[in-house]
Amino acid sequence: MRSVVALAVLALTACGREAETPRVRPMPKLDGSPALRGGGPARSKRIANYKIEAALDPVKHQLTGTETLSWTNTGETAVDRLPFHLYLNAFKNESTLFMRTSGGDLRGSKAALDGWGWIQIDRAQVAGADLTSKLVMPGTDHDETVVELPLAEPVAPGATVEVAFTFTAQLPEVFARTGYAGDFHLVGQWFPKIGVRVGPPGAERWECQPFHSHAEFFADFGTYDVTLTVPSTYVVAATGVLSAAKENTEASTRTYTYRAEDVHDFVWMADPFMEVMSGQAKLEDGTVEVRVLYRPEQKEYAKRHLDAAVGAITKFSAMFTPYPWPILTVVDPPVAAAASAGGMEYPTLVTTAGDTVFARPGMRLPEFVTVHEIGHNWFQGMLASNEPVEAWLDEGVNDWADAKVMAELYGPRSSGIDWMGWQADVVALRRALADDPGSLPSPIATAAASFVDFDAYAIATYESTSRALLTLENVVGSTRFAAAMKAYAKKFAFSHPTGRDLFDTLAKELDQDLSWFEEPVFHQVGGHRLAIRKAKCELAHAPRGVFGSGSGMTRVTAFEMQGFSCEVVITNTGTIHVPVEIELRFVDGGSQRVAWDDRGTTNWKRFLVQRSTPLAEIRIDPDNKLALDSPMQHHQRLEGDGDASLRAAAWFAAATQTLMQVIGL
Amino acid sequence: MTTKRLGFGDLLRAGGRAVSTYTGTLLAVFLVQTLIAMACMVAIFVVLAQAFSHLPMFDDAVDGDLIAIVYCVRWGKPSFLAVAGIALGGLLLWQLASWFLAGGVYGVLDQRPEGRRETARVFGAAGASTYLAYARLALCTLPGWLLVLFVLGVGLGAVAPGLDTALTLTQVLVPLLLAMLPAVLLTHLFWTVTEYARVELTLREHSHAPGVISTYLRTLVWVVRRPLTLLHGGFGWLAVLLVTIAYAYLAQGHPMYGPDGAVTLFLVRLGVSLLRMVIRFGVLGGQLELGRTRPHPPIVVTLDSKS
Repeated sequence: MRSVVALAVLALTACGREAETPRVRPMPKLDGSPALRGGGPARSKRIANYKIEAALDPVKHQLTGTETLSWTNTGETAVDRLPFHLYLNAFKNESTLFMRTSGGDLRGSKAALDGWGWIQIDRAQVAGADLTSKLVMPGTDHDETVVELPLAEPVAPGATVEVAFTFTAQLPEVFARTGYAGDFHLVGQWFPKIGVRVGPPGAERWECQPFHSHAEFFADFGTYDVTLTVPSTYVVAATGVLSAAKENTEASTRTYTYRAEDVHDFVWMADPFMEVMSGQAKLEDGTVEVRVLYRPEQKEYAKRHLDAAVGAITKFSAMFTPYPWPILTVVDPPVAAAASAGGMEYPTLVTTAGDTVFARPGMRLPEFVTVHEIGHNWFQGMLASNEPVEAWLDEGVNDWADAKVMAELYGPRSSGIDWMGWQADVVALRRALADDPGSLPSPIATAAASFVDFDAYAIATYESTSRALLTLENVVGSTRFAAAMKAYAKKFAFSHPTGRDLFDTLAKELDQDLSWFEEPVFHQVGGHRLAIRKAKCELAHAPRGVFGSGSGMTRVTAFEMQGFSCEVVITNTGTIHVPVEIELRFVDGGSQRVAWDDRGTTNWKRFLVQRSTPLAEIRIDPDNKLALDSPMQHHQRLEGDGDASLRAAAWFAAATQTLMQVIGL
Repeated sequence: MTTKRLGFGDLLRAGGRAVSTYTGTLLAVFLVQTLIAMACMVAIFVVLAQAFSHLPMFDDAVDGDLIAIVYCVRWGKPSFLAVAGIALGGLLLWQLASWFLAGGVYGVLDQRPEGRRETARVFGAAGASTYLAYARLALCTLPGWLLVLFVLGVGLGAVAPGLDTALTLTQVLVPLLLAMLPAVLLTHLFWTVTEYARVELTLREHSHAPGVISTYLRTLVWVVRRPLTLLHGGFGWLAVLLVTIAYAYLAQGHPMYGPDGAVTLFLVRLGVSLLRMVIRFGVLGGQLELGRTRPHPPIVVTLDSKS
């Protein structure tokens, strides 16, 4: 008996992934291409350029590293202090701003109570002078996610300063898109990273906010030369191109060197079990190599991610501006780490998610996550808006673009689901599932940290924004809107556009003032609430009564029928006003469209229509152009029809009878 | 007490005889069930029509438009909660009625009356006389059902973490089935025990006046010792399941739109329900035959010390 139990235990243990012994991986081939596709001049101002050397201790999940930052003051005022993000300190304890605002629970993943992460600057030097003791934490309430380095000599406009750090970083057990899960390491937001000077020339100020759980990132473009030392059993993927690799005889490690240009962040992944699958995206000006890194058990999903990634790069490039880097890597995290590590965007490397048994082929959650994260290489990767301040400008605009890409890749009616005869467009599905954006207490254009809670942030930033842009697109016309968005992307690529830049560009390209739309939709609370207040038809006839006076007085008593006189009143009790069409369908099968050029001057509109037959149905927004309101009550018939209710009732009754046969008699 | 040891074939034949001899009784029971279901249907129709008859989106939802279904369920949540309440009420009503109906069926199969009137009399008398005993029996079964829930909870709790990370259907279905199997087997055991306890309460009501708790416990022991009882009952449930699956499979791709379709669908579903009722009736018939072969319960004799 004992031997049987022992064998069973042995068999079960052998099935476990973590029990596999990592093997030394073949030395990867160097990428052999410039960091920008086709080489060429710098695309950005390259304000913050980093050289980093780091070594991973996979047992302690710890990094030791050195960093040399070369930062140029492109403003018109001198700078006497440099603020740096120390993002990993968000996971240091329960007192950090991030942990207080998230409660240790972010986007469905929970922080492990014994897997804290932190970063410590062991030494800071400027021009050879040790300034470690001068470092100050300006954050209040125990937050250590920003540190300031006062400079002995101010950096004059146009001058460049070099800062050297030695640091130690403890990765957290994977949470909020960084950390480890078993042998898997996703190393994001891991090095001291300088803030961004913003504001008009002559009045620049630092933008370097403490890490809030609603907020993401904002950084200057530059170059990254990063050298990573990891065990030889680990597969590594990172931002940029692999420019050098060497075997270290001591401690069985390897050192990889990556170079990235015109990016504003650097992330890397190390894991001993990952495999690589690759494909090629063909663009109008060349090709991009697409790699998906996955664990073997996720191979089927990896194929889907690869197809989605190749398609996404092609479509986004055509819609906006060509993808400028030679490689794009998609990391498909192990399933156990997907909730925390999956679904995050970095330049040239994204993590995906959605690998679940419920995502059968045709249920396009995995594809959507990949498309969304790749889309971020445009909206924030290249158009590097300030995410903590205007999160909608990358998340929501990207969501709007994702819907286009998904529709092109998988068909407009089946971009979300095409499974077992069920079909759903991803936009319509998300709209149906989302809560009413009009009920949120903050407008879309709210700083991430100022939203009342994460749900409000998410609905406004993602859902409301994409639906607002879709509405505007439908009002002004898809072709013109697409051209205007392309112009915006081309104009502001590799810079830090704002919401103002977007709307100014749209107004210019569309040749119309958009403040009527922008103001209520993006800057005011309240939604779009269209409703049918009244719909009534009466027999129309010539007026009866006494007409004229004196001898000319006549009395009309005859009821002279002249068809039907119908009155329809449409209301909009929200703050958003958009021109809308209304379709009136009549009993004889005919229909008529009327329009309400709703610009907010009144909150209702009355329509009077004469027809030979009465009204049968009314449909507000028959072409489904307005995406900010729920369409549930937009389509109504005047006379109730119980056919569908009867069919549904029969179904429920049959189900009840089936249950009766299970529980009784 | 007969000495003949019945086999599986005997039970099936007894079931067949019960169905063919007392088809009218079967149809009467089915009628009661159908009337309760139809009462539910009318109430549900009123609720849904009140909420949706003016909204064409509900038509799309009923026709299977996924987006329309999502909108209607979210928007009409109170209506759907009311629908669930009505269905629950129907189930409760059926549960209460079925104690009477099951007593009537066992009584008829036991006494084998002839003629419609006599059958009705026996059915009513048997149903009424065993009703309270069946109700008490239902209370006796509660600890068993609690045990089933506990076992199910433990099983699902054990496999839940693995389900979170499952990538294939096999990784979901195999652990789920393994986790649910003990609870399903226990359910089958307690269900079979309850049914044979009912048989015993009906057969020995007048001769032995058995107590409900002792009958339940004796039946538990007897069922465990006679795997045929479990096999026979299990076969019946399997047949019910197969009929349901076959219907669901054949109904795929035949949405049956419009009023004609609705009527056709109603009749087809009624036919499926009737088929399942025939199977259950046959099982009851077999159970009664097997129940006759049980050792009689002890007779409690109360002595009056004054006499």
